Amino acid sequence: MGNTLEFRHITKYFPGVKALDDVSFVAYSGEVLAFLGENGAGKSTLLKTLNGDYQPTSGQYLINGEEVHFRNPHEAIEAGVSIIYQERQLLMELSVAENIYLGRMPANFLGVIDTRKANEMAQRIIDEFGIPIRATDKVKDLSVAYQQLVEIMKACSRENLRVICFDEPSASLSDSEIEALFAIIRKLKAEGKIIIYVTHRMSEIFQITDKVAIFKDGRYVDTVNTAEVQEPQLIRMMVGRDLGDIYSSLDRDKQIGEVLLDVRGISSDYVENVSFTLHAGEVLGFSGLVGAGRTETMRAIIGADRQTGGEVYLAGERIVCHSPHDAMRHGIVLVPEDRKMQGILANMDVRNNINISLLDQHANRFGVIDARAEDEAARKGIEDFRIRTPNAEKKIVELSGGNQQKCIVARWMSTHPRVLILDEPTKGIDVGAKSEFYQMICQFAKQGLGVILVSSELPEVIGLSDRIIVMRGRKIVGEVMREDATEDRLLALGMTEN
Amino acid sequence: MKERLKKTFGGDKLILLAATVVVFALFTALNKNFLSWRNIVNILVASSLVGMVAIGHTYLIIAGQNDLSPGSVAAFSGVLAALLVSSGVNLWLSFLITIAAGALIGVFNAFMINKIKLEAFIATLVTQSIIRGFAYILCDGKPVAISNATFIKLGKTRFLDIPLAVWIMLICIVIFGFILAKTRFGRSIYAIGGNKDAARLAGLNPQRIITTTFIMMGILCAIGGIIFAARMNSGQPAANVNLEFDAITAVILGGVSFSGGVGTMGGTIIGVFLIQAFNTGLTMVNVPSFWQYVAKGALLLFALTSDFIRKRNREKQLLEASKKNG
Repeated sequence: MGNTLEFRHITKYFPGVKALDDVSFVAYSGEVLAFLGENGAGKSTLLKTLNGDYQPTSGQYLINGEEVHFRNPHEAIEAGVSIIYQERQLLMELSVAENIYLGRMPANFLGVIDTRKANEMAQRIIDEFGIPIRATDKVKDLSVAYQQLVEIMKACSRENLRVICFDEPSASLSDSEIEALFAIIRKLKAEGKIIIYVTHRMSEIFQITDKVAIFKDGRYVDTVNTAEVQEPQLIRMMVGRDLGDIYSSLDRDKQIGEVLLDVRGISSDYVENVSFTLHAGEVLGFSGLVGAGRTETMRAIIGADRQTGGEVYLAGERIVCHSPHDAMRHGIVLVPEDRKMQGILANMDVRNNINISLLDQHANRFGVIDARAEDEAARKGIEDFRIRTPNAEKKIVELSGGNQQKCIVARWMSTHPRVLILDEPTKGIDVGAKSEFYQMICQFAKQGLGVILVSSELPEVIGLSDRIIVMRGRKIVGEVMREDATEDRLLALGMTEN
Repeated sequence: MKERLKKTFGGDKLILLAATVVVFALFTALNKNFLSWRNIVNILVASSLVGMVAIGHTYLIIAGQNDLSPGSVAAFSGVLAALLVSSGVNLWLSFLITIAAGALIGVFNAFMINKIKLEAFIATLVTQSIIRGFAYILCDGKPVAISNATFIKLGKTRFLDIPLAVWIMLICIVIFGFILAKTRFGRSIYAIGGNKDAARLAGLNPQRIITTTFIMMGILCAIGGIIFAARMNSGQPAANVNLEFDAITAVILGGVSFSGGVGTMGGTIIGVFLIQAFNTGLTMVNVPSFWQYVAKGALLLFALTSDFIRKRNREKQLLEASKKNG
């Protein structure tokens, strides 16, 4: 059959970020192509520009040499290009058959829907997949894994299906369910579909894929035959050699002091019974998969999510944080994971973004803000954190991602915190800015702050932390000292499923 | 410094001023009396209540909220104040009680939004109906005549040939304009309107800020309603229908973005003056009242469209800027 999907010079800008940078390569039918890269490398963005969820800033897509352009995901599906997302897009109250044939249910000449025919057709697909569900089952009654399979069946029920992309499909599946998924993927491969498989898990890459396309910082690096590479080689291509040197040049000698933060059995709606301690002058890493509960733990500590149990002690004293405001008053601050949605105030300039948490200090007793104090604080923040901006009145969204993040760090450091929590602080930031951040983090710890570093980038956690806590399934599953930390060890702790 | 100057007087507002000039030129061409001092004062008086409400809407819409209840609250306040005074309660105490009632309505709006997690649009639609109902219930549907001489005088007093109602609006604009631009509270309004989650994580308390803003709106509506009643010599339960429509149109015309986080009080002043000039002008050139509704709708559509275009331009600029960085 020999179908091809060509990515030609795909570039995508978001305000402040170049998410995709001139990506060009070809995917062939009859093989499973993995997308591999760190968080923020551009894998998901690339898929979303393919199916019209985003529009590429420039570049073209060609299927079998013919240019295609989709204005929205619906058009893509109509043209036989489907993406199976991690979050399911199903209507929970409808039956399996109704979901599979959503919007194109078989009908008679009067337009009345022929439910029986739909059920029969759907059941045939289900049987082909070989899973024990009925077409008439409501989707909400199915397990998460079967729901995902329904999504795949929905895509496969289209006769013109040409391209099917899986965006981290295995995150919610058990081992046996993953096997069922792989069986289906092999079948699709034999049928000559173009298959793209996005994953973080190395084991899956070696199990199911034929080729691996590697991405780094929005750029396409290379495609390699899976059979011809080893894991370390893939990691090296994905992370890039240059970072190794950055880590080794960091000045990590410092005095680790008394216990500063003592978290005892903290719980929220999203985490259960998490306990750990953080010392003054220490960088404590948090490793684990996306969804392991690391972000949620931090949100519970600062009171962004309601605490349902547990206690927090700061320098031996019990503190209670009902809101991030309380945490800030106690000197615990969080640089959140999602810079764009939770960090920056996009409508404001650099000056106001740096000063927003200092309003209490800068206002007199009538609430009037001292403009000169704000100017001074902004100037200091820009200088201390080397924020590259022509002036403080520049809108923050006009800065690059790294400089936006520096503004957030400047905002918090100007409140003189005792505990600084950084959640994926270098996500989507270029290598140069990353190395600046790493130096800053070491500097903060040296000044005696307790720093918590939540990161999915293993080299980063290992390269910076004095101690690393690993989370899985919303619980702490292990603790590794700096000397013993290796990527293998952290991966093994973070991924093992019981 | 230059950028800050640009922010206060730049681009958008020049266009708005130009639009005001065009409206004035047009109506003056059609009716010479439009530009007379008396008519200008009339426009100012007519805009006084809308102005008070528009001040509240400026805060609310910048904060990412909205309010559809001001018309009802103003009418309710007029009736309540008139009733209290006529039943022998001290005049100033009556006003105080009425203003407290307005504040309480604001608390109720904020409660629905903060605690029942309703959208502001729908929550304040609830209040719009309930409070209008109470306005009728209080007075059994009949307007309440005001006999207290001081109360009536409030509607007639003039300083420098300009009625008290206008002065109160101007004072409110100056005070609330200052608060919005210069204080911690004002800054917080912009922050939560730009991004509520991020503002909360930055240590602000969005729920408290929203509550304060709605209380402020309730008080502004109450004061506006009392003065309106004084001008009319009676508290009228059926008055001020669609008041919020004019106020929201004025605010959007004045450059406040419907998606929150952007806008200034200066823009709102021009917006209020523009829409009231527009309304008065339509009447003066004898546009039938049914068609005035159509014209007002068209004006709101124009305001929203220009808001959309401004927003799109902002995004385009950003994209260009990030290309330069990338």
